[in-house]
Amino acid sequence: MPLLELDRLVATYGKVEALRAVSMHVEAGEIVALLGANGAGKSTTMRAISGLVGPASGSIRFDGRDIGALGPEAIVRLGVAHVPEGRRIFPGLTVKENILLGGSNRRAVRRAALEADMERMFGIFPELRPFADALGWTLSGGQQQMVAIARGLMSRPKLLLLDEPSLGLAPLVVQQVFRVIAEIRQQGTTVLLVEQNANMALGIADRGYVLEAGRLVIAGTPADLRDNEEVRAAYLGGRAQAQ
Amino acid sequence: MGIALQLLFTGLGVGSIYALVALGFVLIYRATNVVNFAQGDFAMLGAFAMVVLCIDLGWPYWLGIVLTVVAMALFGVLFNLGVYYPLRHRSFLPVIISTIGASILLENGVLAAYGPRPQSLPGIFTNQGFSVGPVFFDSQYLSILAVTVVAVALQYLFFERTLLGKKMQAVSQDKEMASLLGIPVALLIMLTFVYSATLGGLAGILVAPILFVSVQMGASIALKAFAASIIGGFGDVTGAIVGGLALGVIETFGAAYVSVPYKDGFAFLVLFVFLLFRPQGIFGERVAEKA
Amino acid sequence: MSADARPASPTRRVAGAVVFVVAAAVTIAIPLVQPMPAYSLNLLMQASTYAIAVFGLTIVLGYTGQINLAQAAFFGLGAYSVALGTTTLALPFWVALALGIVLAAVAGAALGLTTLRLGGHYLAMVTISFQTILSLVLTNWIAVTRGPDGISGIKRPAVFGYSFDGSGAYLALCIASLWLVGFLVWRLGRSRLGRRMQAVRDNELAAGVVGVDTYRTKVAAFTLSAVLGGFGGGLFAGGFRYISPDQFSFAESVVFLTMALLGGVRSPFGTALGTALLILLPEWLRFLKVVYLAVYGAAVILIMVFMPEGVWGFVAALVRRVRGPSMETAVPVPVLPLTKETAQGDGTVLLSVRGISKHFGGLKAVDAVDLEVRRNGVHALIGPNGSGKSTLLNVLSGLYVSSGGEIALAGATIGALPPHERAARGLGRTFQNIRLFTAMSVLDNVVVGAERPGNLIDGGHGAHALALAALGFVGLADRAHRAVGSLSYGHQRRVEIARALAGNPTLLLLDEPGAGLNHAEKEELVTLLTRLKGHGLTILIIDHDMNLVEKVADHITVLNFGRRIADGAPGEVLRHPDVIAAYLGQVNARAAA
Repeated sequence: MPLLELDRLVATYGKVEALRAVSMHVEAGEIVALLGANGAGKSTTMRAISGLVGPASGSIRFDGRDIGALGPEAIVRLGVAHVPEGRRIFPGLTVKENILLGGSNRRAVRRAALEADMERMFGIFPELRPFADALGWTLSGGQQQMVAIARGLMSRPKLLLLDEPSLGLAPLVVQQVFRVIAEIRQQGTTVLLVEQNANMALGIADRGYVLEAGRLVIAGTPADLRDNEEVRAAYLGGRAQAQ
Repeated sequence: MGIALQLLFTGLGVGSIYALVALGFVLIYRATNVVNFAQGDFAMLGAFAMVVLCIDLGWPYWLGIVLTVVAMALFGVLFNLGVYYPLRHRSFLPVIISTIGASILLENGVLAAYGPRPQSLPGIFTNQGFSVGPVFFDSQYLSILAVTVVAVALQYLFFERTLLGKKMQAVSQDKEMASLLGIPVALLIMLTFVYSATLGGLAGILVAPILFVSVQMGASIALKAFAASIIGGFGDVTGAIVGGLALGVIETFGAAYVSVPYKDGFAFLVLFVFLLFRPQGIFGERVAEKA
Repeated sequence: MSADARPASPTRRVAGAVVFVVAAAVTIAIPLVQPMPAYSLNLLMQASTYAIAVFGLTIVLGYTGQINLAQAAFFGLGAYSVALGTTTLALPFWVALALGIVLAAVAGAALGLTTLRLGGHYLAMVTISFQTILSLVLTNWIAVTRGPDGISGIKRPAVFGYSFDGSGAYLALCIASLWLVGFLVWRLGRSRLGRRMQAVRDNELAAGVVGVDTYRTKVAAFTLSAVLGGFGGGLFAGGFRYISPDQFSFAESVVFLTMALLGGVRSPFGTALGTALLILLPEWLRFLKVVYLAVYGAAVILIMVFMPEGVWGFVAALVRRVRGPSMETAVPVPVLPLTKETAQGDGTVLLSVRGISKHFGGLKAVDAVDLEVRRNGVHALIGPNGSGKSTLLNVLSGLYVSSGGEIALAGATIGALPPHERAARGLGRTFQNIRLFTAMSVLDNVVVGAERPGNLIDGGHGAHALALAALGFVGLADRAHRAVGSLSYGHQRRVEIARALAGNPTLLLLDEPGAGLNHAEKEELVTLLTRLKGHGLTILIIDHDMNLVEKVADHITVLNFGRRIADGAPGEVLRHPDVIAAYLGQVNARAAA
């Protein structure tokens, strides 16, 4: 049984129907990439899974249960962590505090346990340690992305939703981030990765889906998708009149 | 010189009341982006509760204080549910107006229940105070300063040292992200209202023996507290405290050296000046606080 | 006024006018003819003078969306002017009244000019401060105002020997003034200034971009509100012949506000109704007198939660729902005169952008970008998410101040101009997340666009005709009188485009016009854009849908990380390896150039 299953999901963004009958699944232990040009509906998909947006129709099943009606606080407790687009570090809190708050979904957890987990995070992101007491708004984009991922991992998720981690980052930093994502999967966390940067994502994913204007148009392995004219057309047009 | 010191002491005492009310007001604003026009009425309610419990029912002061604090906390829950919660998704204008409505309701409700005559609460302390040199340290004013210092210190510790305090800060910085982490946003907003109501009630308890306890007392304190928070820097916690204290001192000196009847106007004159030349206040708006 | 305001047919208009005149005549005549008990006279005098002041709130809060908590202060200025004028200064009533109005106007303008740039709760604070200070002055400046004792023996006016001393006559005067002011306020709601005010209320940002000088509009609203406050106060003083400071306190400002909200602040009918209810009702419920003020407060909260449009608004919405959507009668739709620009000659540079940068702190969102948009064509600006396209568009519109570089439109530098002045130079724009004036009708939205400064139209009818023409061009003329919020997303998009077209733009900036549209709607958009291009309009478009871009663009500029990385014909640009790498990412890590 897949860890996450979307069945003909329809979701709106404001008044607009952003997702039209999208069906996809993620197996435990995979990295799945969700690709597509801006406005294709990738972020809406994430927001529907994490509970920020309720589905208009269709279902979302996580670990066997239907989570469509649940809110974000309940869903994160079930083991789904959403690292949203734009990172959204709390600007007035320090790196340490941001990371500690990542454990807010865990009931009856002692501060000492959280701090121990935080130490593990500094182990995964050693370049953050010198900035442990720096306020969120002073960090660079790459540092913020690291903090956001660490914060997401603190909730001990079964499924990590990463929304556009490469956005606004210089190529070298993007490399770093993707190395970390691969490592996260090694440790046993399933990852659903939304990316505009298709090639980078396909470099580490096991499978990919491509969205265009709210519909799923192509699915396959990186081998199928890479250098695929269809994928290029989904981003850059040039396709003959279809539909 | 002696007079100036005396005025300074008195001014700080008055300013502490403004600071306490401003603090409650700023906390609600940071958490919910709501300007609560009924904040001063929390003080009025606290003062009236003391009158009812300690004068009408004749219960001892310590009991009155405890019960009033508890009652104000419960009132905070009611206020959140009745005034803020139904309008939490609307734009700022309906919410401001709703809090104005709450203010009218509270003031006139108390008026209807109690009548228009101002009440007075005798001093809590048997010892009036003591002198050091030319300055007389009134016990009540000393207690106001002491309580304010303790309250501010405790609050600082809460927000800076506890995880719950950090969670509340997170809610005021990015509600949606906080909920994605599993932080119970609605509950923490409720807590903010409870705390603010209690702070306001505390201010009322402290100031009751000094002023006449009347239905209008809350409105005048509230206006000055708002002015104080703008002067200090809108939305800034330190600014609220500094602004409140500064305003108390300016007002006291103004009354003594310039004019007594216009005492209440100094706050607004200073406010005008700030709004014209430095609307962001002393401490300004913090960088990228609200994404 | 209300959206979904169907144009009154000539018969309806005449009928309405007749009803108005008759009602006015009757209500003015009754007190003149019928003797009434002093109690009723006083009540009605209070109601009518208060209503005039509350009409001021209709203008500033209802039409323009700005909060004014000092209306009682302006009311007091008018009252004290009449009081002191007719007693201490022995001036004739009308002169004293005029002085009061002028004083209130000056105070209102001064307050507005200094603080309307701040808005929101700052404005609330300043108005409260002014109110408080005025109350203090009225109470304590005893030498002039006689302090808490108040002023008595206020005189009433006389006109050509006819004296209004009698209470009946004076009440008739008040009622006549009320009808007059009410009518003017109602007319204002339908005038050019009224539309501008409502645009500011509904979407201040878009209003600026569409050509409305938002600051001046707000100051005008605020001043008018103060004027009506002063006028009402002056009449009030003459009516009761005695005033004292506690009648003009912050509490009274709150009462005015409640009256406005209860009835429905957006319409003069509503505010008049609210005033009547709150003055007359308590009298009828006098046994509740002690408690009714508390009930006021509860009522305000309940109104905000359940009936934000007030009683009148609630009733009007009900009526609208019962009547159903309006059946539009076929109106001949004029042709949109878009062809005038073709004469300028194809291919010359219309928009020249040199070295434009926009930094946010350390972040270079736009980094020294050059761009040239030539006349009579569609120029597309594309790039991956975060590449700086929207920022650049905002710099062009004047919503952001650039951190360096120059912008020239038709040869003239526009970089230092605020948004509404760029609109005046012919810059039109739509927004990615549609910014329409939600409480206005479809037609009124477009009329605001037509009325942009510098647009060549003849008089009021010209603007309406132009707006209809623009709506006809986008195919929505038959929905002109619908509430704009009731349209589908795709149609709302088209209304926004029509609004921009009605301004006869030299250059039209379209920010992601395809966002949120389904396939069929996008096809319609492509058709529309192609037609616009055919008429000679110059368009700069941002969009993510490459199919759409490829179909309409003559020229494409590509941004990445705030810098321009490609510029040329669509065919080459979309196959350019740098562009492909920018969108799809690089397989091998290469440091950015």
